[in-house]
Amino acid sequence: MAKRLKLVAEELARLGLTAVYPREWRRSIVLEGEADSWQQYIDAGYAAAGKGYKGVVNDVRVRGLEAPREYLPPVQGGALEGISYDAVIIGGGVIGCAVARELSRWDLRVALLEKEDDVAKQTSSRNNGMIHPGLAAPTGSKKLIYNIRGNRMYTQAAAELGFDFDRCGSVVMLEKSLYQLALPIVRVKALQKGVDGLDILSRRQVAQREPNATSLQHGGISLPSTGVVAPYKVVVAYAENAVENGAAVHLNTAVLGFEMEQGRIVGVRTNQGLIHAGAVINAAGVWADKIAGYADDRFFTIHGRKGTIAIIDKALGPTQKGVLALPRLGVKTHTKGGGLNPTGEGNLLMGPTAIEVPQREDWSTTAEELEFIISRHLGLNRQLRPRDIITYFAGVRACTFDEDFIIEPSEHVPNLVHAAGIQSPGLASAPAIAQDVAAMAVEILKTTREVKPNPAFNPKRRLAPELAKLSLEERGEAIKKNPAYGQIVCRCETISAGEIIDAIHSPVPAASLDAVKRRVRAGMGRCQGGFCTPALLEILARETGKAPSEITKGRPGSQLLVGETKTPQGEGSGHERS
Amino acid sequence: MSGAKWDVAVIGAGPAGLAAAIAADKAGARVCLVERESRPGGILKQCIHDGFGLVRYSQKLSGPEYAWRDIQQIKERGIKLFTDTFLLGLERGKERFALTLQNSKQAVFPIAAKALVAATGCRERTARQVFIHGQRPAGVYTAGTVQRLINIGGHLPGKNCVILGSGDIGLIMARRLTLEGAKVLGVYEIKPEPSGLTRNIVQCLEDYNIPLHLSTTVSKVHGSERTEGVSICRVDEKLRPLPGSEEYVPCDTLVLSVGLIPENDMLLPLGTEIDPRTGGPVVDQLLATTLAGLYSCGNALHVNDLVDYVSESGEIAGSAAARSALGKQNCPRHVPVIPRGDIHYVVPQKLDIAAGGQGIIYFRAARTLADASVEISAGGQALQQKKYPAVRPPEMERIVLDLALLPPGTKELSLNLRG
Repeated sequence: MAKRLKLVAEELARLGLTAVYPREWRRSIVLEGEADSWQQYIDAGYAAAGKGYKGVVNDVRVRGLEAPREYLPPVQGGALEGISYDAVIIGGGVIGCAVARELSRWDLRVALLEKEDDVAKQTSSRNNGMIHPGLAAPTGSKKLIYNIRGNRMYTQAAAELGFDFDRCGSVVMLEKSLYQLALPIVRVKALQKGVDGLDILSRRQVAQREPNATSLQHGGISLPSTGVVAPYKVVVAYAENAVENGAAVHLNTAVLGFEMEQGRIVGVRTNQGLIHAGAVINAAGVWADKIAGYADDRFFTIHGRKGTIAIIDKALGPTQKGVLALPRLGVKTHTKGGGLNPTGEGNLLMGPTAIEVPQREDWSTTAEELEFIISRHLGLNRQLRPRDIITYFAGVRACTFDEDFIIEPSEHVPNLVHAAGIQSPGLASAPAIAQDVAAMAVEILKTTREVKPNPAFNPKRRLAPELAKLSLEERGEAIKKNPAYGQIVCRCETISAGEIIDAIHSPVPAASLDAVKRRVRAGMGRCQGGFCTPALLEILARETGKAPSEITKGRPGSQLLVGETKTPQGEGSGHERS
Repeated sequence: MSGAKWDVAVIGAGPAGLAAAIAADKAGARVCLVERESRPGGILKQCIHDGFGLVRYSQKLSGPEYAWRDIQQIKERGIKLFTDTFLLGLERGKERFALTLQNSKQAVFPIAAKALVAATGCRERTARQVFIHGQRPAGVYTAGTVQRLINIGGHLPGKNCVILGSGDIGLIMARRLTLEGAKVLGVYEIKPEPSGLTRNIVQCLEDYNIPLHLSTTVSKVHGSERTEGVSICRVDEKLRPLPGSEEYVPCDTLVLSVGLIPENDMLLPLGTEIDPRTGGPVVDQLLATTLAGLYSCGNALHVNDLVDYVSESGEIAGSAAARSALGKQNCPRHVPVIPRGDIHYVVPQKLDIAAGGQGIIYFRAARTLADASVEISAGGQALQQKKYPAVRPPEMERIVLDLALLPPGTKELSLNLRG
């Protein structure tokens, strides 16, 4: 016991972190004390990782640094007070929504709580949508198991839920010809890991497959199982199918604590009231450690790792078939290096970066990060120029210091399941993770009651027409049935008023500009909403019965307007509803 | 399947498209006009300030008044106007362009046209395209969006506004926001001189005591829900931020007037050559692109600062398209127009010397020059010269060249601007 603690202490001393004190708690290690910088905090966490503990809890304070700020919805009320659910899922990211859908296969009352104004607001929408082949996941890790299984499940999930999944493959190029010597070993590794398919390509074969690839490559490997999705659409699809099968999605609902009785969670305290819960699933992303703490089960700490991604104009989409990457070996980072990947919609995505950040909900981008992406990845495709970038965004990955997923029933709280530390390849793994997490929750519920399948479960999501996918004849028929499909609102992406109205009245209704964008891409094109924002605003107001000045870009407080014109200054927001 | 057949189809019923359709009709072509909005007029509909028409009508008109004159002519001439109609697909057939249109009434339907005029206007550069960082709160708008929200929607987008870019729309919106009761805290311009017309600086900023900060830009937007403020910083002569010059300005709205980009995306699949300097197609003086039968005009061709010249280019393109469709066009013989000296760009990029008559040459200076002169020459021989007290990049210049002046055997023309 004392040996591994000594190992940690020695490593901390070697790093000069003399004010950091390790102690053991249950089967985990807790770090306390002080550090001078966020980097020191991070170094301390990694010093304690991999030493045989169940998890690393890093409570080291950083001098002069603000504690991470958490957004809480500015909504109070008792809308959910006293409601009883069999299963309560905390977090409306891809894991939470996929778990909700898996649980909706059972005859259970299921609720998903999301503090944001929509699902897929944080890490699950702020990534590059890559469905990894699994090669990069370490042997023996949960990441590997779930990545391989999840990747295979995407074909069926896409067919059932009706989201675009393009198994476009990836080419990992080599920086130096010397690395070719390692390729036979990589092939064996891939076989051992269960990666579906791997081909070794010569320099010429890479150039044949991707004629615009950088000339600096020295051959590479092709991974045909790599795919891409629009991650926010996957999340929305899971959430909608869950709701269609009886689950409830409560937005703007933040978990503030648990009511515990004899070590069990009996109530979930939220800003909308106290909810009774049979089983609780912690899928809270960057705040999963905080949620675990509410149940006195905080055996890990999440630290945020920001990734910035740039979006390339659709016009350049056809210049690339699949994912292109050129990993820089010898550079030690916790990312697989990023690259350039296609999207189902035709744009290319470039990045991401990997930067340790103390703030878990700071999605701001910086000039330095964008310059880094440009310098590192733009040249992978010889057709791209910096002016082809239409916009860029950042996401924060929810990392543990052990760098592996935590997918297990709590060891201490009998009705809590953790799905935490879900970072890359979390999206690729989500279908498999959700299957297992739902099964764990069902096991918990079976200890106190009978759990029967949901006789009405329909795995197929009902799909509103997506005009871009229709033939001209079908499009014409759709417009004749509903003339709103004939009126184009977003000209860059060719999105009709009808599709926008469908999104506003979908099972998880789009109530804001960004929510519409996540569902139907209106405003996501090259003009970035310049032309369609006024029209979207008016459609949203009309369809939701709100005043235009109540319509938000996203969260409450992000109103797009301050009021109407021709009103005295200071009274701009007061006006009657139409 | 080819649907109704037209001599000329004009895409976009803004000022360029309206003028093109009228000119094509006058030239005897059967013409139709396709507009995606519910009313013709384009951006002029939201330009309720005056100053339009000084060149074309010797009058100061508002945008809607200016557009109304052309719209009346469209009606009087009985020109077919498809409104609320979106161009879904465009292909070049053997003899005709095949267009697939969509609207709520007719659903999806094809039309065919012998010649096509692209009058699709331009779009605004966005915050991210000028590399403003930070989160993505509400309250960051392009100037044109603000103009539409206020003038058409009757919506007030903000109360305390910072404007980045001293382009004309930005200046106009500074005044408009002030008149609607918002406070405009300042207009910031990264360049050492304003981008907009001098009359707009005077009438929109000075008259309302709105400060203009030159060599200053916005580097970051603060706030995560609604904009709470912006970081501004001074820049050096190479437009790089000066370290330590950053300042925080609290505001709820950032309005961007940082440039316009010609919209030619629908032409890309046709393989028309695009001039990277203008962002529009490469054309001759008849505004014929490198694809036979395809013409370009207005802000889709290059960004103009006066609507009068947008209409002028529409007229040229419309009548040339009509002549082409009616088979009245001579076989073209092109010579390039080479920009020299301090020319930023020139339109047209080449001349069809077989066409004869006059050619209008538009150009912009690459930098501000006092006592400038521009010279058109061929084979070392000066053909025409024009002197200017000053030329500025934001102000487009225009020369009319008599093609009869060209010496026989002319291989190329050069346009040389010197300070």
